[in-house]
Amino acid sequence: MTRVAIVGAGMTRFDRPRRELQEEMVAEAMKNMWEDLPNLETKDIDAAVYSYFSDHLEQQLCFHWIIHDYLGLSGKPGYRVESGGATPIDAIINAYMFIKSGVFDLVLVAGWEKMGEVGTAKTNEFIAMASDTDWDFMVGGYYNGYYAALEVRRMHLYGDTIEDLALLSVKNHNNAIYNPYAQWRAKHGTSKITVDDVYKSRLISYPYRTMNIAEISDGAAVMLLASEEVAKKYTDTPIWITGVGLGNDSMRPGDRTGNPAWLGLYPEDEEIWPKEEPKPLTPYPEMANFGAFRYAADMAYKMAGIDNPRKEIDLVEIFNPYDGVELAAYEDLRFAKRGEGKTLIREGITERWGELPVNTSGGLYGQGHPVGATSIGQAITLFWQLREEIYKKWGSQQAQIPSPRRALIHGHGGTGCQAGVVIMER
Amino acid sequence: MDEFEEKIIVDKSVLNEWKKWARKGDMRVKGYKIVEAPRGDRVDRISRERFMIVERPHAVVYQHSFGLLSRFYEGLIEGKLYGTRCPKCGLKYLPPRTHCWNPSCKLEETEWIEMPTEGVIVTYTIMAFSATPFLPELPFVLAYVKVGDAATALPIQVKEIDPIDVHIGLKVKIKFKEERVGDLMDIYAVPAEKPHPPPRSKEEIEWLKRELKIVEEWVNKHFPKK
Repeated sequence: MTRVAIVGAGMTRFDRPRRELQEEMVAEAMKNMWEDLPNLETKDIDAAVYSYFSDHLEQQLCFHWIIHDYLGLSGKPGYRVESGGATPIDAIINAYMFIKSGVFDLVLVAGWEKMGEVGTAKTNEFIAMASDTDWDFMVGGYYNGYYAALEVRRMHLYGDTIEDLALLSVKNHNNAIYNPYAQWRAKHGTSKITVDDVYKSRLISYPYRTMNIAEISDGAAVMLLASEEVAKKYTDTPIWITGVGLGNDSMRPGDRTGNPAWLGLYPEDEEIWPKEEPKPLTPYPEMANFGAFRYAADMAYKMAGIDNPRKEIDLVEIFNPYDGVELAAYEDLRFAKRGEGKTLIREGITERWGELPVNTSGGLYGQGHPVGATSIGQAITLFWQLREEIYKKWGSQQAQIPSPRRALIHGHGGTGCQAGVVIMER
Repeated sequence: MDEFEEKIIVDKSVLNEWKKWARKGDMRVKGYKIVEAPRGDRVDRISRERFMIVERPHAVVYQHSFGLLSRFYEGLIEGKLYGTRCPKCGLKYLPPRTHCWNPSCKLEETEWIEMPTEGVIVTYTIMAFSATPFLPELPFVLAYVKVGDAATALPIQVKEIDPIDVHIGLKVKIKFKEERVGDLMDIYAVPAEKPHPPPRSKEEIEWLKRELKIVEEWVNKHFPKK
C-alpha cells in the first residue's frame, strides 16, 4: 500500500465577519497554497473531500457542490464529510483513506465556515443543534454549559484550577500573535496578554470566561494529499501521514457515568479514582475525560509505531474549544497520567519553548474556529512547522519550533462525541 | 379502524398560529445594507472592498415526535418521572432509552419504570450566557443529576439555591412546574439538604457575585419582567 503525503496547504485569515462568499474564501486559500505548488494544475486533482459543519449557519445545504464547480472540478468526484467539530479532521482522514485504498492519487481537502451571519446567541443555538436536541439542548446549557460542567467535574476529581485554565489561555493567545492568519491577531494585534487579562474577561459559564473559549469565526483552509508516487511531482519536502485514528463516545455527556461499552477497555485508567468519591458504573472516561480521544490516539500511535507519545512527538495541535479540553487531552492522548494533565501547563512543558509545544497556531481562540476549516488550519500550522517554513509563511522566525520531526493533530466534535488524530512526519 | 391510520388522542396544537409566523419568515430578501470591509488572506495583506449584505429571515415549525419515548413526556404532564430498565442486565436509564445500549444485550427492549424524585448532582455549571431561548432566564445553574439508581445522569436546571452554593454531591429533589407542556423544562431540581459548597477563595466568591450581578442587570435591561 502506498504511503500518503501532504504536498501542499493554504489558508485564509480566520476572522469575523468575513464578508466574502465561502467559495471566494476557499479560492483565496487555494491561491495561498499555489504560492508553494507552482506545478499543480487543477486537472491533476482526482477528487475532493469537503468539510463544513452547519447547514443552519450557512443557510445552504450541499454547499460543497457550489465550491466544487467554483474550483473548476466539475466531473470529478466531490464528497462531503460532516461530523460537527470533528468535520475537518474527519475530512483529512477520509482523504488519507481514499489514497491509501488506491482509488485516488491526488485528493484535495477543503474546509470553510461562515458563522457570522447570525447573532452570537443564535450561533450558540445552531452549534448546540449538534447536541441532543430532545435532552441537553432543552434545558439551556448549550456547549458553553456542557463543557463547563465537564470541567467542573475535573476540578472536583483532579484539582484542576481556574489558574490552570488561565495559563492555557495566556499560552495560546500569545502564540497567536505571531500568526498572520489568526483571528486574535486580526482583532487585537500583537501585544501579549497576561492571566489578569483572562481574569478580567466576562464570565460565560463557570469556570469559563470569554478568554477560555473558542472564537466564532469565518474562514477557509485547504490541503492537498498525494500517494507516494505522485507526491514527488509536486514537492521535495512532503510531510507524511504515518498514522490516523478515529473514535466516538456518547452524544449526551450525562450518559457517560454509565456506558458499559467502555468497561474494561482501559483498566489502568479505571483504577485512577479518588477514594472518597462514589465510583460510577464506568469510571473511564466518565464525564472527566474524553474516551473518544484515547481511542483515536491509540489507533494512530499503533499505526505510526509510537510507544511513548510524550517523548516521540515533537509538536502538537489540540482542538481546544474550551481550555479544560486541552488539560483532558493531555491525559487522553497519553502525554500525562489521568488527572495529571495540569502539570504540563504548570511546568511550562507545552509552551512554545517547552519540551512538547502545544497549539503554536494559537488554537481555537487564538487562530480561530471556523468549524469546517479549524483542524485543517491547525494541520497547516504543523505542516509549515515540520517543513520549517514558519518564517516564509508567517513572516516570523520566533514562532518556528527548531527542527521538529513528528507532530500530532487532534480534532473532535460535540462534547468529545467524535474524535480524530493524525500523525504527521517529515 | 385501519391500523395505518393516525388518530389524534389529545390536541393541544398551536400550529395554525405559528404558521403565520413561519410564513412571515419565508427566506426572501427583506432589507439590505452596503458596507466597506477588509479582504485578504493574511493580516498583513489586507485591502478594502464594498459588500452588499441582505437580510433574509428563515422561520420554521417542526412537528417533532418523541417516538417510543413519548411516555416520558406524557409522564411530565402527569407529574411523574419515568425511566427505563433493561430486563436483561438491569441497567436503569434516565434519560430513558427504548433499547438497552449494553453491548451484551444486543438492543434488548427496555421496560418503563417510575423513577424516584431524589437525585445527586454529578456535575454542574453556572450559566452567565446562553443561547436565544434561555437568555431571559440567566443566570441559572445547569446540572447533571443522577436520579435514584439510574446509571446515567439527567441534564436539569437547579433552582431555589444561590448558584455559588451548588456543588457536586449535593442531594436534590426533582420538582414539577405548575404549568406543564411535556418539555424537559417542566422539571427542575432543588436542594434536598443544606449545601456544603466547595472551598472557594474570597476572591472567587467576590468575582462570581460581581459577574452574576452584571448578568442580572443585563437581563433586566433587555428582558424586563412584567
